[in-house]
Amino acid sequence: MSELTYRRMKDLPSTHLLGTGTPMCAGCGGLNALHQIYDIIGEKSIFINAAGCMTLLSVYPFTPFRGSWLYTAMASAPAGAQGVRDALDVLLQKNRMSMQDDMQVVVLTGDGAAYGMGLSATSGAMERDLDFMYICYDNEGYGNTGQQYSGATPHAAMTATSRGPRGFPGFKKDLFSIWSAHKPAYVATVIGTEPLDLARKIEKARSLKGPRMIIALSPCPTGWDYDPQDSVTVGKLAVRTGVWPLKEYVDGKVVHTKVPHPRKPVEEYLKLQGRFSHLFEPQRDDALINEIQAKVGAYWEDVDS
Amino acid sequence: MYRIRFHGRGGQGMKTASRILGTAFFLQGYEVQDAPRYGAERRGAPIFAYVRASKDPINERGIISQPDLVIVADDSLVPVPGAGVISGIDAHTVLLINSDEDPDTWKQRLNFNGSLFTLPVETEARAELRFIGATCTGAAARLLGVISRDALTQAIRQELAELGDAIVEENLSRALSAFGLMEAHAGTVNAGSVVSAHDYQRPQWVDLPFDQARISAPAIHAAATSIAVKTGLWRTMRPLIDYEHCNRCWWVCSTFCPDGAINVDDEGYPHIDYDHCKGCMVCVAQCPPHAIASIPEQDAQAADNEEARA
Repeated sequence: MSELTYRRMKDLPSTHLLGTGTPMCAGCGGLNALHQIYDIIGEKSIFINAAGCMTLLSVYPFTPFRGSWLYTAMASAPAGAQGVRDALDVLLQKNRMSMQDDMQVVVLTGDGAAYGMGLSATSGAMERDLDFMYICYDNEGYGNTGQQYSGATPHAAMTATSRGPRGFPGFKKDLFSIWSAHKPAYVATVIGTEPLDLARKIEKARSLKGPRMIIALSPCPTGWDYDPQDSVTVGKLAVRTGVWPLKEYVDGKVVHTKVPHPRKPVEEYLKLQGRFSHLFEPQRDDALINEIQAKVGAYWEDVDS
Repeated sequence: MYRIRFHGRGGQGMKTASRILGTAFFLQGYEVQDAPRYGAERRGAPIFAYVRASKDPINERGIISQPDLVIVADDSLVPVPGAGVISGIDAHTVLLINSDEDPDTWKQRLNFNGSLFTLPVETEARAELRFIGATCTGAAARLLGVISRDALTQAIRQELAELGDAIVEENLSRALSAFGLMEAHAGTVNAGSVVSAHDYQRPQWVDLPFDQARISAPAIHAAATSIAVKTGLWRTMRPLIDYEHCNRCWWVCSTFCPDGAINVDDEGYPHIDYDHCKGCMVCVAQCPPHAIASIPEQDAQAADNEEARA
């Protein structure tokens, strides 16, 4: 199997492995990415889930997974993954499990854990070259508790803890670069609204050994404040405006897998979301909109040069 | 002590409604508790919020099992067991339901002889009936009979202040109009008696012996058991595929359905699993030939019932 398994849209799965009936919000962008990812990773997997929205996926006695699932505290999912990987290796070594029965060890956390609380444990796991996959569903805030800001919150977004007229004063942390600096086997950004790009990257990650790190931008109707039916539209605009660059790091190189050309103005993305409504109402804040646009422009200029 | 229970769906503002009512009570000189129930507070999922108010200190805690007033913002929740709308009601309980159907129909349906009022349903069809919380609170305040128009007004201004003047005024006008609507029924709700801790009866728990973790840990030994949870109950709008216009594309609807609730058959036609579709309507927005329509769930159910009868 290689990334060439997914050449065109018709190669994408049309039946799905992840069980329905989960308590994620209607229109959840994170669940949209996860169900596509799970179709490719498959049931021979163990998910290690740090506290967050997706902890609620498996509330006893219900689980959408077909393989195993383990719940850890917010900062320690990669440590949990180390334990699980070690246990599998012991079973393999003692011939109590055959190689065909070996499983993918997959960490699943939100951005609160990935960009913040769990960063140290993740750094340690990459340092030890742990053979695991890390999936971060990034909805740019502590969504499960009411969208307080996190290390992933973008500049100017309104959150439960950033109520000022200019929203969140900080900037979204560049987790892709932080992770890449550890030189793991693979780092990629994906989004559920670009299914072919996502499928190729997950397939590639699956075929590699060592730390394979995935950040999935996850449009969040509840936390970003838009109508659930716009979830895919918002995600597509994140890519087309250049706000969410799709890229991968492999063999020491960063490659952009989808370069939006021409890029749409960021305001098309911002306007759909209540968390940015203060940029447009009661009066338009051109200075702030231009500042966001300039940041995006500078990023792509760097890429082009 | 007044014990009031709000029922609605995530996104309909029940938590805010309970806060407004609590604040209004407080402004009238009452001791107040108000709290939503913590759980899966998801858009569309059943939500509970509770208010207790008394002139004396309140020692009761936790969920309200014997309410004096039950407020139902979304009448489609009444038949949903998990929503627990009729749990613990008796002849002294007053029911306030946001519904198109008249009170007599509801009384008959619920076999309920107490006081029951309906509020005319808002025409806005989406899950978030944006102002329904304020409407319910206004009507509730009047049914309680101990909250003045001024206290209600001040509570709304206070609780919604950060949403801006336009939204405050819109909520205020809906709340006051509902307050007026219930004028003839002012004071219908009677405060329940204070329950003494001495009469408390422990729930009939089953005591489990202490076992080793490998026996007692909550392990699930089956795959995809979440399918047993019917999240289709969250839906207020239903996506409906027009197979005449479906062009059997690369299953855009199936890939983008966050819940994986759309499966494609061997001929390439998608089928929506209504037991689990939460009604987000992403498929409606994304279908390339616009072959998926969006219809109110209540109408769809009525049509289903018609068909079943015919």
